[in-house]
Amino acid sequence: MRRQGRILAIKWGVNPNSSSLGVDVTFLLLGATALAMATPVIGALLRWRRPGAEPPATSTPPALR
Amino acid sequence: MIAALRALRDRARGPRKARLERFGAIVQLVRPRALVFVDRARARVLGLRDGGALWANPADDGVIGRAPLAAPLEAHLQLTNRCDVGCTGCYTGASPGGAPREYGLADWKRAIDELARMGVFHLALGGGESAILPWLGELAAYARGRGLVPNLTTSGLAHLDNVLAHADLFGQINVSLDGLGATYAKVRGVDGFARADAALAALRAVKREIGINVVVTRHNFDELGAIFAYARAHRLNEVELLRFKPSGRGAAAYGAMACTDAQHRALLPTILAGARRHRLRVRVDCSYVPMLAHHQPDRALLAGLAVYGCTAGNFLVAAKATGAATACSFAPPDPLRPRIDELAAHWTRPDAFIPYRAWREALEPCASCSYHDLCRGGCKVVSGHAGDPTAPDPECPRVVDFRRAEAPPPGTRRRSLPVV
Repeated sequence: MRRQGRILAIKWGVNPNSSSLGVDVTFLLLGATALAMATPVIGALLRWRRPGAEPPATSTPPALR
Repeated sequence: MIAALRALRDRARGPRKARLERFGAIVQLVRPRALVFVDRARARVLGLRDGGALWANPADDGVIGRAPLAAPLEAHLQLTNRCDVGCTGCYTGASPGGAPREYGLADWKRAIDELARMGVFHLALGGGESAILPWLGELAAYARGRGLVPNLTTSGLAHLDNVLAHADLFGQINVSLDGLGATYAKVRGVDGFARADAALAALRAVKREIGINVVVTRHNFDELGAIFAYARAHRLNEVELLRFKPSGRGAAAYGAMACTDAQHRALLPTILAGARRHRLRVRVDCSYVPMLAHHQPDRALLAGLAVYGCTAGNFLVAAKATGAATACSFAPPDPLRPRIDELAAHWTRPDAFIPYRAWREALEPCASCSYHDLCRGGCKVVSGHAGDPTAPDPECPRVVDFRRAEAPPPGTRRRSLPVV
């Protein structure tokens, strides 16, 4: 049977601020349980959406020291 | 008939964009708006092709952060450094004349082509005041056409019509609002509250995804609750809190404007209380992660929300108005002088964006901090202002406590050890 794999992280929203990477901290209020409940829903949505065009796989910078 | 129904279903499902990474892949959802990091097995289940050489090392599977991403998640483009407002703490030192040799529309389109080829998901467009650019809408439409989501920050103080006319092209538009009433002028040195307030009302009338950016200073910290209430009353969808940075004109104003240590320690409880009370979405600047970690939140929860500290030159990249690529908007141009429209070649260089990518080489108290792999040493721009960009963020409460413990008690002198 094929392994379903894991969702590692979900970065919510988009960041309009051109000076930093904004992170949504509202989930800190709701706690880990809320994130655990949201994750399978996101997983289902991922499967439901049509795959779009992928950019070519590029090499990545070397591993961090 | 069946074909029409299929077309309707396909439109509702919408395409998802994805990008392969060493750990697996990042998949973009449009509704709800999210970037989802998945491991290799989940990437395969979603129908993504095999990562080939990118997936050669099994140890990288499912591990975010072992190497920089294959491309940034978002690019911060300072479309111009022109702005007539002249705020006291402007981090770009914007002026009515702007920067010499600023990029024009054709240059920025070339940059967007490069970022699209790399698989970047979002753009954050700013300035200066990019609303003054007559081609702002054309550029936003071009980014949409290349599959990127353009987002915008504006002061709301000039050329609002230009933003209103193209508001539907942007994923999110935030107006800078650093205080209410007289506090706005106290923080920015310019009395623009009434105009910013009117801009927010006009934008909210045509678009739901409107929020505010608040640069938090010692002068408006106590007003955060009132700002949250304002956002709720004006039906804004988010408040983004930004740490004051010692950059541009902000470097000279830093001592008088930066939050106190007590305010930094009180930040997270203040945010959470405000978010709960006013039922608001709150986002914070990456440089605030040390202040979040001070309260020891669940590490797994932070990781699951992709809450990272300094990910400059990794999760994000920036470009000056001249097209010079930088690790983040506050960082000086990289010594190798890459341009944003040639980013791909620079991105994979082992010496790119040092010291931002060298966060693992940490001194104490970061080296022993259990949040270090998330926080990554705090804001290197603040550290650089204090003398060394590779040093721990001097305003992190843990660093403050560590240095206080290391310092000799008042009234005593540190004794030198004899040289043997």
